[in-house]
Amino acid sequence: MQQATIQDLKAKRRALWRQRFMENWRVFLRNPLGRIGISLLIMFGLMAACSYIPPMIDPMYHPMTGVDPKVVSSVGPSWQHWLGTDFMGRDIFSQLLAGARVAFMVGVSAAFMSVVLGTAVGMTAGYMGRFTDTALMRLADMIMVLPTLLVVLMLAALFGKLSIWMIVLMIALFRWPGVSRIIRAQTLSLKQRPFIDAARVSGASHLRIIFRHIMPNVLPLAFLYMTFRVTSAIVIEAGLAFLGFGDPGTVSWGMMLQWVWKTGHMFQAPYWLLPPGICISLITLSFYMLGRAMDEVLDPRLRDETQAG
Amino acid sequence: MRKYVLKRLVQVMVILFCILTILFVLFRLAPGDPVTRMVDPEMTPEESQHLIEQLGLDKPIWTQYLIYLKNCSTGEFGYSIHYGEPVARVIWDKLPNTILLFTTAVLLSAMVGISWGKIAAWRKGKATDLGLTIAALVTHTLFLPWLALLLVWIFAYQLNWFPITGMISDDVWLDPEAGFFTKAGDVLYHMVLPLTTLFLIHFGSYLLVMRSSMLDTLKEDYIVLARAKGLTERDIRNKHAAPNAWLPVVTSVGLSLAFSINGGALTETVFSWPGIGRELVFAVSHNDYPLAQASFLLISTVVLMSNVVVDVLYAFLDPRIRY
Amino acid sequence: MALLTVENLGIGYQTAKGLLKAVDGVNFTLEPGHSLGLVGESGCGKTTIGMALMGLLPPNGRITEGRIVLDGLEISAMSEDELRKVRWNKVSMIFQAAMNALNPVKRISAQMVEAIQVHRPEVSDEAALTRVEGLFNLVGLPLERLYDFPHQYSGGMKQRAIIAMALALNPKLVIADEPTTALDVIVQDQILKETKELQRQFNIGIIFISHDISIVADVCHQIGVMYAGQLVESGPAEEVFFNSKHPYTQALVSSFPTLAGPKTKLAPIPGEPPNLTGTIPGCRFCDRCPKDTASCKLDHPQWQEVGPGHHVLCDHC
Ligand SMILES: Nc1ncnc2c1ncn2[C@@H]1O[C@H](COP(=O)(O)OP(=O)(O)OP(=O)(O)O)[C@@H](O)[C@H]1O
Ligand code: SF4
Ligand SMILES: [Mg+2]
Repeated sequence: MQQATIQDLKAKRRALWRQRFMENWRVFLRNPLGRIGISLLIMFGLMAACSYIPPMIDPMYHPMTGVDPKVVSSVGPSWQHWLGTDFMGRDIFSQLLAGARVAFMVGVSAAFMSVVLGTAVGMTAGYMGRFTDTALMRLADMIMVLPTLLVVLMLAALFGKLSIWMIVLMIALFRWPGVSRIIRAQTLSLKQRPFIDAARVSGASHLRIIFRHIMPNVLPLAFLYMTFRVTSAIVIEAGLAFLGFGDPGTVSWGMMLQWVWKTGHMFQAPYWLLPPGICISLITLSFYMLGRAMDEVLDPRLRDETQAG
Repeated sequence: MRKYVLKRLVQVMVILFCILTILFVLFRLAPGDPVTRMVDPEMTPEESQHLIEQLGLDKPIWTQYLIYLKNCSTGEFGYSIHYGEPVARVIWDKLPNTILLFTTAVLLSAMVGISWGKIAAWRKGKATDLGLTIAALVTHTLFLPWLALLLVWIFAYQLNWFPITGMISDDVWLDPEAGFFTKAGDVLYHMVLPLTTLFLIHFGSYLLVMRSSMLDTLKEDYIVLARAKGLTERDIRNKHAAPNAWLPVVTSVGLSLAFSINGGALTETVFSWPGIGRELVFAVSHNDYPLAQASFLLISTVVLMSNVVVDVLYAFLDPRIRY
Repeated sequence: MALLTVENLGIGYQTAKGLLKAVDGVNFTLEPGHSLGLVGESGCGKTTIGMALMGLLPPNGRITEGRIVLDGLEISAMSEDELRKVRWNKVSMIFQAAMNALNPVKRISAQMVEAIQVHRPEVSDEAALTRVEGLFNLVGLPLERLYDFPHQYSGGMKQRAIIAMALALNPKLVIADEPTTALDVIVQDQILKETKELQRQFNIGIIFISHDISIVADVCHQIGVMYAGQLVESGPAEEVFFNSKHPYTQALVSSFPTLAGPKTKLAPIPGEPPNLTGTIPGCRFCDRCPKDTASCKLDHPQWQEVGPGHHVLCDHC
């Protein structure tokens, strides 16, 4: 009997949740930004997925090591090479596909790490208050004003070229403060709510309160910030690669731009200069639009009230 | 107010001190021998011995740390390996160039962003608004170095309107006849493309912030009162809504300064603009650690100080804030 | 000639669920130097009427029928440019949210001077400031606080500043929309007394909006009781307050403790007003009315004269 009602309650809550999700999804899709963002991201996702295909067709399509033996310098688009080749005869189109994979990898993993870190710090600071709060927020302020790209560059000066995972880790380590501030503010306002008091009175531990009661309420916000962090991670990695400090073992779009630029092809080979730049710009744009559309879902104040009138 | 500025300056010192310390520790942890990284192998033995003593590299680690702090605070960063000159001499010349480009770009994009954001908010839902918002979104997310290369390609290479790189033309500056204005005009001419790059990347975010802040402000009660007083819509927008709507934009300028200086370094590199950002990139690629360290410290100082300026400006614009 | 004539006024808001008729068939007149209190519970359309009198309805609101004539000018038919000249000059308003009605980044003095100079550009800064000083004296604000920013003022001071601002151009009509709700009782009392005094002194017409009928009865010559967008009872203040006829007015009177009298237990009115989006047959109060009969639900009630100048929109009293 007792069991049954709990089951019922759970089912009901799930149904409610599903309903809210569908409702949010509708609001999201009504927003043109959301629609365009999602479509572009699906396109980039397909590119990333397809990046495995060309090297399977012919080893000369391998983005890093494959060289077309018939080509000795950069040539324009042809049937063999849809977007032409670079100065060594490597296929630009395969490089572009591989770049999509790298961008997703860098963007999503760095964003995920920095959001996890920022959420943890923000919740701790907001929940613990007092000294912990002050110390953590001062630290956040300090890191926030540092230019991440140049910091990572400086680390490259100290430790030599960084691998792609090191770069991801560094971006994550320096991009959490923004998230943590927002999450802290949210936590502070949650702390005022009666259900937190109720939980404390009924003997829940701090950890339990943080994980069971506060985290579910700040997660949507953290998720939103993740989309914005993705853009900044992608841009930082691309900038680093463009300056010549990318992971030499990966082909990213920033790296491709560095090759065009450094080999002096930027005035001769628009087929080489344009695609990677367009891709970086579009993928940042689409994550950005996604973020703004999600913003609207999470914050009803931003919804367009004039739609009726 | 003066107390507040002092407090902020002390904070800047503390942060710089932390950065210095962290750099010191990391430098000792990094692979490679400190002496070979700090001292130019082409120096004569006496010279290098002198430098080692000056940097305290032969002393115990704590003494080294203290000497390092002292040197950094007096602006002695050692010898640049690449230039074979004191680092200070190399970078002091570059500082004004960076500040010129960086502040002009930030001010210009903030001003344009604010005024266009105001227009977009006022014409909410109309074609002007849509056009401005889309333009802001798109330019804001363009990849900066790529945009820079495109501008060079189109306006410098194809159309030949502007120089491809650099900050000055030698023939103008070597000409003894050339007056101040000729020279300034020459710098301006070189600055057009780098400035356009930075401007295009930055104005969008200010525009979007101003637009939404203006829309929020227009819902406030004091706007209704202004309208009830019989003010024209133009005065309501410019005299009542805008001064309030600026505040979040100023905050956002402060928050994006770090981002702007990243962009500044990339721009300087692409356009060979002789600034500290470019010097940092150059030093890192040429394993010139003393130069890299000094450039980094100087850039951090520029960012931190501009943050103070922005905060003071905010306090100046918002009477509710009194420190 | 009456200062203000409102004839068969109807106001609608365009909303997602259709046209919301916030005000419907409202008639009243106000003589110069007299005051009219509009009372009713939240959402009955008081602010909407006030805004319409200023020509300040929000973009989705419009006058659907009827006329507003102020001092011989037909407000309801004026263009935006014409309205701008009338606003504050002939009719000014003390807003419901007066606490937030002052611009936080401008000095009080500048905001007051602006109100004067918008309509009298020929007035010099010094002359305007002198006038503002006079107004400050009038409402009892210390002169040395003239150059403060709004956040340096207390709630009561802000309210006084707004009242001073409303009087700046000697308007013929002032609309006071719940001018004292955000203040504590003592300040409220002071400000009400001063308002009454100022009105007498300068012979201003006042429309005083409140949800508290006892305050209105204390301050105004006339009372209009509103329910769900309609006027349901109107007449001289004492008549309406001590001799209320409409069941809604009676409920209102008994649900507020009188300012002077002993604190009696509040009797809130059960139920909610009807939805204003659709058409409502019969009396709008019938769902909550203790006296309602079958006919109330079917037919619109008619206006009845129950005393000299005292009218009620109810068939059963
Ligand atoms: N801008 C608007 N758009 C749509 N509906 C509105 C708008 N403003 C007011 N309304 C509706 O019009 C009706 C009357 O509102 P009004 O503000 O005039 O009430 P009020 O009597 O002043 O209430 P209160 O005592 O709470 O101030 C309400 O039902 C309200 O929901
Ligand atoms: S008309 Fe009927 S329902 Fe309406 S107030 Fe009078 S008695 Fe009540
Ligand atoms: Mg109201």
